[in-house]
Amino acid sequence: MGSKIKAIDIYLPEMVLTNEQLAKEFGRWEPDKIESKLGIRQRHLAAKDETAGDLAFNAASKVLSDYDRSKIDMLILCTQSPDYFLPTTACVLQDRLKLRTDICAYDFNLGCSGFVYGLAMAKSFIKTSIASNVLLITSETYSKHIHPEDLAEKTIFGDGAAATIIESSGREQILEFVLGTDGSGRNNLIVPNGGFRNPYDPSAIEHKTESGDIYTDNNLFMDGPEIFNFTIDSVPAAVEQCLKKNCMSLNDIDYFIFHQANKYIIGYLRKKMGIPPEKFYADMLLTGNTVSSTIPIAYSEALNNGSIVPGNKVLLCGFGVGYSWGAVVVEV
Amino acid sequence: MKKNEFVEQLSEYCEFENKGFNLDTQFKSIEGYDSLALMSIIAFVDEKFSMKLTALQLRELKDFKSLISLIGSDKFEND
Repeated sequence: MGSKIKAIDIYLPEMVLTNEQLAKEFGRWEPDKIESKLGIRQRHLAAKDETAGDLAFNAASKVLSDYDRSKIDMLILCTQSPDYFLPTTACVLQDRLKLRTDICAYDFNLGCSGFVYGLAMAKSFIKTSIASNVLLITSETYSKHIHPEDLAEKTIFGDGAAATIIESSGREQILEFVLGTDGSGRNNLIVPNGGFRNPYDPSAIEHKTESGDIYTDNNLFMDGPEIFNFTIDSVPAAVEQCLKKNCMSLNDIDYFIFHQANKYIIGYLRKKMGIPPEKFYADMLLTGNTVSSTIPIAYSEALNNGSIVPGNKVLLCGFGVGYSWGAVVVEV
Repeated sequence: MKKNEFVEQLSEYCEFENKGFNLDTQFKSIEGYDSLALMSIIAFVDEKFSMKLTALQLRELKDFKSLISLIGSDKFEND
């Protein structure tokens, strides 16, 4: 039994934060320079009372609007900003989306590699006949983790969700995977407080970065340069291993969609790997880095604008917090 | 690559707005020396010297001269 990506839809919250607004608030950089370096002009932000569960609901409602929801027999949600510690947000979504009750639903906690891992799980469940029609949702509200005076992280990250239906298929269109983990990098992208190792601390001290940004241990911390080092180490190797596992070369791939971390990072990786720009997706201009949703957002956009067409082989590669990474070739 | 060329090329790569830096220019005195600049230094050294510098090493650097020492003076031509 094979599997394929049947449909993808996305949801971005209504509120928008532009570079101009950030420049006005912080008064220490030029919007045009940031756009040209990072490739981000604006990002969407969840409202105060809007959760990752809400974004997930909206994205799923869109993709299910022309799909028979009674066919969905598995719901998987990837998020690092769940509605509750418990119950599982996917269980709440099963009810809100009026899906069948005789289905499996669960969350998994991964960031930018999450979509590729979700595809791996969906494929595995379909291959073992545990499910036939999987709804995979990626949804994140990182903005709620970010300190209001942390310009660097506010610039990079945007909130959003994507809902993908993976169906059983006569032939396999989700090909071989390479998945990887290196937890030694855990402190370079982390929200230290709020779990049980370090509970949320209302009087946490403020730290200041070399750029003058402020954060506490209750907030998201990212060591950008160290994360960049990780991507240089892991991404080209993962792509190479993935091609090898699929018995393909770079030239056999019609299009490459990497996690849209920012324009600078993915541009460097593209150049380092010798991928032609016309075969490489690079667009996070209006959304920023939406964590686990950047790949499905890009895939959906590439389908809509004709960059990929049925029959194309597309290499997807996600990488980030953990560290965690994954790559796969899919046939459109 | 000569050391002075290194200073010039790296400054251009990092898109520092001011020019005329020399081996003793303190990184922290450069306008725009932020985490993006650190990433640019990582990329430049990876590309030109196939060498990995950690963020911690970069944050401890004072000037262009100390970066050259970190990469290894033997990798540069005499001026």
